Amino acid sequence: MSSELDTFKRFGVDKKAGEIIFCEYEPGDAFYLIQSGKVKIVKIVGDVEKTIDILNPGEFFGEMALLEQAPRTATALALTDVRLMEFNQQNFDVLMQGNPQIVLNILKIFSKRIYDQKRRFMILKLEEIPARVADVFLMLDENMAKPEDPDDLSRTFQTTPEDIAHWAGISVTKCVEVLTSLQNQRRIEISQGKIVVKNIAEFQRFVNSRRRTKA
Amino acid sequence: MPKSITFKANSIIYFQGDQSERIFILKSGRVLLKTLDIDTGKEVNEVINTGEFFGVKSALGRYIRDETCMALTDTEVLAFSVAEFEQLVLSNTRIIMKMLKVFSNQLRRIHHKVEKLLNKSDAETDPETGLFKVGDYYFNNRQFHQAAFALNRYLTYYPQGQYASQATLRLQESERYLSKTGGSGTAAKPAAAPVGMPGMGAPKPSGGTGGAKQFYEAVGLISQEKYQDALNILNEIITGNTDPENLAKAEFEIGRCLTHLKKHDEAIRHFTGLIQKYPKHPDIKEALFLIGKAYEGKGDKPWAKNFYEKVMSMCQEDEPTAIRARKALQAISGGMG
Repeated sequence: MSSELDTFKRFGVDKKAGEIIFCEYEPGDAFYLIQSGKVKIVKIVGDVEKTIDILNPGEFFGEMALLEQAPRTATALALTDVRLMEFNQQNFDVLMQGNPQIVLNILKIFSKRIYDQKRRFMILKLEEIPARVADVFLMLDENMAKPEDPDDLSRTFQTTPEDIAHWAGISVTKCVEVLTSLQNQRRIEISQGKIVVKNIAEFQRFVNSRRRTKA
Repeated sequence: MPKSITFKANSIIYFQGDQSERIFILKSGRVLLKTLDIDTGKEVNEVINTGEFFGVKSALGRYIRDETCMALTDTEVLAFSVAEFEQLVLSNTRIIMKMLKVFSNQLRRIHHKVEKLLNKSDAETDPETGLFKVGDYYFNNRQFHQAAFALNRYLTYYPQGQYASQATLRLQESERYLSKTGGSGTAAKPAAAPVGMPGMGAPKPSGGTGGAKQFYEAVGLISQEKYQDALNILNEIITGNTDPENLAKAEFEIGRCLTHLKKHDEAIRHFTGLIQKYPKHPDIKEALFLIGKAYEGKGDKPWAKNFYEKVMSMCQEDEPTAIRARKALQAISGGMG
């Protein structure tokens, strides 16, 4: 317990609700672990502040800065009063000696994020926009619990055109256009905050065929 | 306990798409990993050498294997569960460090690839423009606290950037607004500081610590104009002290020494860093004034003027710093014709 307190004394940072922790585009030289409170990750897209993620205690952010001072790819804001641990190249060894479990957790997060990014890349690699949109649904499905009945091919996703557009790398307008045409073909149903795909296997076949012709 | 397993030549250790939480070390023999490159769709082979790990990423990340793994010769491997693997590396942190480097490198590469695909359709924003636009967005939405932060960062990284004058104006206005509404922007009076930074600005009861003693020694040396000696002591305080109050004060005095030593560039860099690190530093106006002085020392009158004006915009008219800033401003404006 006392070693945890020591760790905090060395690395602790407090931020008030609303304060920026780091800004998109500034060079990154530290990464953070949330001790208490919530952090909002946003990007300014055109004239809109778009929320990318809301992070809770125990979660990391800014970890890309660990080994390279690349520009930040998003802005991090304290959503509530937060207490953070801040790590940089200078104090990282100290952390490693005192609390290797934290570093091991970072390793696990890296593993997961490499996978997520690869998956995203595969979506973006598809040339046809409708295939990308279908593949986003497949990706969302892969990250969901499977239904009890394997013959049940309908899937309900808590998602929005904005989210899908983000993953597919297309404009929201274009995304809405594709979704509307899918709805007109009765392949999906759009309602407030959720989208029902009637037959996920059909989407899988469609994406597979597009990916094969490409390769 | 990790299990030793043997495989005959040409047998498969696992298939792409398998779900498994086993992690392997190659004890003897040769192992090949086959993947399809996600970019080109071509098959990529990687040979594992004795003593190397494989299957780590998918096991730790809890996703399916994304490569097929095959024994090329008769092979012996050690198989670990995730828990056993964790035990092993926690007592041997060099392994974690090495893997972290490899993974972070992979993550960065795939991230770049994704960004490149995205930028085909999206116009790329350079970091300078991007950072200014972030500040601009918050400014236009009257979120002055966030605007001040972003604009401050902009001016720190790009003090002579293409948006510097716009950024300075917006920053001034944000700060004016924040000080008017009692918000704790960078223009906040020291009295408001305890909200954000406990201990700063208010004297601490435990005054007789080593750090404090050193600090007064340094201040003494400054008054005797022995700036280099003072600088040495101040640097000692910085490296040896974690008390935020002493640290912030020492950092400020370092900047003062640099100004006196006419190390203008270093002084500018130091003070901008300080302002960024301690946005509620009680000596913030003085720091800005000294940045102006350093620019003046470099012969950069327009920038000196910017900073003097900024100081005046933040001060009451009769504050000593404001008076000095006004005098300095008159002096250089006269010279500029």
